[in-house]
Amino acid sequence: MRISLNWLRRYLDVTDTPERIAEVLTSVGLEVESMERLGEALRGFVVGHVLETSKHPNADRLSVCSVRLRPDGEPVQIVCGAPNVAAGQKVPVGLPGAVVPSSLHDPSGKPFTLAVAKIRGVESNGMICSESELGIGQDKSGIMVLPEATTVGMPLAEFFGRDDVVMELGVTPNRPDCLSHLGVARDLSAYYRIPVRRPEVAGTDGGGNTAASLTSVTVKNPAACPRYTARVIQDVTVKESPEWLKRLLTAAGLRPINNIVDVTNFVMFEYGQPLHAFDMDRLSGRRIVVRSAEAGESFTTLDGRTHAMTGNELMICDAERSVALAGVMGGLNSEITPETVTVLLESAYFDPVTVRRTAKRLGISTDASYRFERGVDPNAVDEASRRAAQLIAELSGGSVVPGVVDEYPSPIAPKEITLRLARVNAMLGTELTMETVSGILTSLGHRVTHVDAGTVICASPTFRPDIEQEIDLIEEVARMYGYNNIADSTSGSVVFTEPSAAERRLSDVTGWLQANGFNESVTNSLMDAKTATLFSSSAVSVRNPLSAELETLRPALLPSLLQAVAYNHNRGARTVKFFETGSVFERVSGDAPYTFVPGYVERFRLGMVLSGFSGDLSWHEKQREFDIYDVKGTVLSLLRSIGIDNIHLIYYDASNSLNEQSIGIEIQGTYVGLMGRCSEELTGRFKIEKPVYFAEFDLGPVLSGTGPKKFKGFSKYPSVTRDVAFVVGEEVAAGDVERTIAEAGGAIVSGVTPFDLFTGKNLGTGKKSLAFSVQVTPSDRTLTEAEIDAVVAAIVSRVSSRHGAVLRQI
Amino acid sequence: MMTDKIAEIRSRIESAARSIASSDDLERFRLEFLSRKGLIAALYDDLRTVAAEQKPAAGQAINQVKRLAEGTVESLTARFSQEKRSAGPSIDRTLPGRMVRRGTRHPITQTIEQMKAIFVSMGFGIEYGPEIEDDYHNFEALNFAPNHPARDMQDTFFIADDVVLRTHTTPVQVRLLERRTPPIRVIMPGRVYRNEAISARSNYFFHQVDGVYVDRHVTFAELKGTLITFARSFYGSGIKYRFRPSYFPFTEPSLEMDITCFLCSGKGCRICKHTGWLEVLGAGMVHPNVLRKSGHDPEQVSGFAFGMGVDRISLLRYGVDDIRTFFENDVRFLNQF
Ligand SMILES: [Zn+2]
Repeated sequence: MRISLNWLRRYLDVTDTPERIAEVLTSVGLEVESMERLGEALRGFVVGHVLETSKHPNADRLSVCSVRLRPDGEPVQIVCGAPNVAAGQKVPVGLPGAVVPSSLHDPSGKPFTLAVAKIRGVESNGMICSESELGIGQDKSGIMVLPEATTVGMPLAEFFGRDDVVMELGVTPNRPDCLSHLGVARDLSAYYRIPVRRPEVAGTDGGGNTAASLTSVTVKNPAACPRYTARVIQDVTVKESPEWLKRLLTAAGLRPINNIVDVTNFVMFEYGQPLHAFDMDRLSGRRIVVRSAEAGESFTTLDGRTHAMTGNELMICDAERSVALAGVMGGLNSEITPETVTVLLESAYFDPVTVRRTAKRLGISTDASYRFERGVDPNAVDEASRRAAQLIAELSGGSVVPGVVDEYPSPIAPKEITLRLARVNAMLGTELTMETVSGILTSLGHRVTHVDAGTVICASPTFRPDIEQEIDLIEEVARMYGYNNIADSTSGSVVFTEPSAAERRLSDVTGWLQANGFNESVTNSLMDAKTATLFSSSAVSVRNPLSAELETLRPALLPSLLQAVAYNHNRGARTVKFFETGSVFERVSGDAPYTFVPGYVERFRLGMVLSGFSGDLSWHEKQREFDIYDVKGTVLSLLRSIGIDNIHLIYYDASNSLNEQSIGIEIQGTYVGLMGRCSEELTGRFKIEKPVYFAEFDLGPVLSGTGPKKFKGFSKYPSVTRDVAFVVGEEVAAGDVERTIAEAGGAIVSGVTPFDLFTGKNLGTGKKSLAFSVQVTPSDRTLTEAEIDAVVAAIVSRVSSRHGAVLRQI
Repeated sequence: MMTDKIAEIRSRIESAARSIASSDDLERFRLEFLSRKGLIAALYDDLRTVAAEQKPAAGQAINQVKRLAEGTVESLTARFSQEKRSAGPSIDRTLPGRMVRRGTRHPITQTIEQMKAIFVSMGFGIEYGPEIEDDYHNFEALNFAPNHPARDMQDTFFIADDVVLRTHTTPVQVRLLERRTPPIRVIMPGRVYRNEAISARSNYFFHQVDGVYVDRHVTFAELKGTLITFARSFYGSGIKYRFRPSYFPFTEPSLEMDITCFLCSGKGCRICKHTGWLEVLGAGMVHPNVLRKSGHDPEQVSGFAFGMGVDRISLLRYGVDDIRTFFENDVRFLNQF
């Protein structure tokens, strides 16, 4: 909402600077989002009087002028190059220091600053300007000549009516009363405790109700139109509005059209009441019918667009057809034209929800609909109508027909709300007196009746539809008393909050990943439906997506992580190591278990991807690319680092279209997710050429793990290690051999570590050598050599028989 | 007999030690004396045959011999390994060390972590809720009337008629109020969605940290105190701030908090629209309708709630000029944090 300070000053004698007024408005809840000084560009320009001109001694095309810049001042000498300069003219003069918005002599038209200068040897104390140089018109043929009666010395900004300051107010949706200059003045008057000067509106209804004999109003849908008034203005002449009106409208951001329409806009920005002027002679039957639209009916609004109605809209009609979309926009068929002589002026209160639905469905937002949606004052409808009718008569040479047709079957009364002083202070943490509280409420237009020392009843004005209960009045008190004047306290009771174990474990997880070289990514949670379907057959889609690429909620973290991998590979990254934590989404059928909202499952997951070289280029290590052992090692190290050891891995044999080398992860018997290598089909989809290794699993079971770690003790006797190597068939899994060794060795074996793997011709085809370091730890004594040899023998025997292995001599 | 044997081994050790000239010689020495089947092991085996009263003395003598052999191995191992190394390239300390590459946390989560840490130190717990939310928790329970213009502020993604992608993290507050009795004092970080075109300044998803405190006798003054404490520890103790009345359907009185623009120190710049102030959070007293809807008597308990956007604050704090940069996840960007 644009507020003109000049306009505001018509109602309020506020003398503070614009900056201070802006501070006050912001402090009472009308945030000044920006401030614009309209005359800023014309600072340093005044009206000058050319007393005489003479030819420049050194240049044929230049004149030397004597110009008076103040009514009683000494004339100054100014050199001018315009052909049309002449003695007796009133002209715009730029003084030294002023910035000329656009130079005629500079091809790029850059601004320049004036200074006292010698032009071809003659001193010049300023510049007489053309329209084009001032940036207010196109004419550059010569200087601009102002009307003879113009006062000498008047700032040019004032001459052009640009000595105004416009503030852009961010009016919150609960304050429709401040979508007008009078409304803003009312809040300021409450702050400054100075009265508002309301426009003088004479009663025009003195001479009987002639209007009722000229027209009628029938409201068929009073729920959508609780009040409708019609006034008639006769013998109008449609023409341009006077300067003062055009200036104020322009300052408020409105485009002047003609005197009739301009008045309706002016009064809307003055009172907040939208008005509509019909050409009465174009209304069939010269009367108004307010009814719901017929389904399928089509209607052409003022802007020339034709809309199809659903039947839920409210229409303003004449005897035969629709003439306006109530509260939104008038129709082309009844608008004011240059030929209009009789005006029917509508001022009404429409149901906010009806207007809002119509405007939203048709995609039209007008100044009128904006106000009706938020709620205008049903009891100011008539005053605004009288104000506008008088102004129209005044500016168009017409006359207001006495009387009004006012359909208002169930008047809306102010709401009465009880306010307790104790409640005010308990809520705000203040010690305000009843005097202060009732003073504030009264100044804002609430009628306050005292019940007892601590209680009042407030009749809240109908221009404040937002005020419904006690807390709303408390807010009124708080904002006028000043949020910044309420003390701040931190003395409140300290609440003990149980530290969340899951939260700590989560930060252990992310901290570990960061320490181990992973960059955390934050990626999109919406993706295209086709890719989502690859990951889940029950992905959740949005009904109104921004685009097809952002249609479906991610059923897995991997796809958006792959997007990040592709992005970085395309930009030459050597190593990509990302992790991300976030939610993934799936739909579940009717009665299946859900997370929060029935029908939907949300899981909190950890995803990671590794692609490219496993480390930075270095002089001491050969570089290699990531492989499955990197991701497997990362996952297991991570889980062990946060104390999870009940992990079971499932080695899937088959690859699918998404991944290969897959390993399933189970924690405490619960399947949580998967790691592996992305299939080429999958990486190809993201245009990634390098292999990508990934892991993705639910964090739920990870974070809900057990409490503090428990010390398990360890053996007092030294451990001994023995190395054993076997030649086995290539198909034999190291993990299986490892398990056999542990089993055969029994409790005394405390560790089995594969440390060498190779194939070679001398081993025979289809064979490989697997070497293990076996750690033996006795619990109750030092072992003898013979005992250790026995353990090794048992291991060798079991591995040989179970896996067809042959002991290899090291 | 035993004593002689020990003395003989000792002299063999001494003479053998003198003739060790290479690491191979040393290994042969180790095998001869110290291996499991070496001479010293044999001495220990013989100890079993010695008379009980002589055992301690003999055992001690064998131990001494063993230490002699071990000492020889130790000192010579060090010498040979040094010689061996000096045969390779010499140490060049100007070569890069073996670096340990550390990763990074995303700037958005770093901001959230900092906010969490401050609120946790002020006694707030941390709670999470769903991103797919029903209309009731996202709007209705928060006092949004079905056709209230406030819904203009939130253009929403719909999943079904009454299921949306949450437009704020405040619904988590409702879920908490529904199942817990006050005192409740938590913050609720998370991702939220608005159906907005993507540009340098806005995105369709962003992150919020909301907070709520409901108890007996919670006041507006305490809300101010809490927000000031937070703002001072997050933005710096020297900041200036102001509170402005504002409007949210679920709080009343409502406020917005501005701090001095830290990009221009309050002089006015493009970012603060030449006002010198930056809006950093919205807050207010929990609306009585909200308390009532979730089963609490507003005459018995009161509370405050607040919320702040993480992305915009991160943008300004880290001097990033395009919000999309955060979600491209370019490692050259991430590695700077
Ligand atoms: Zn700034």
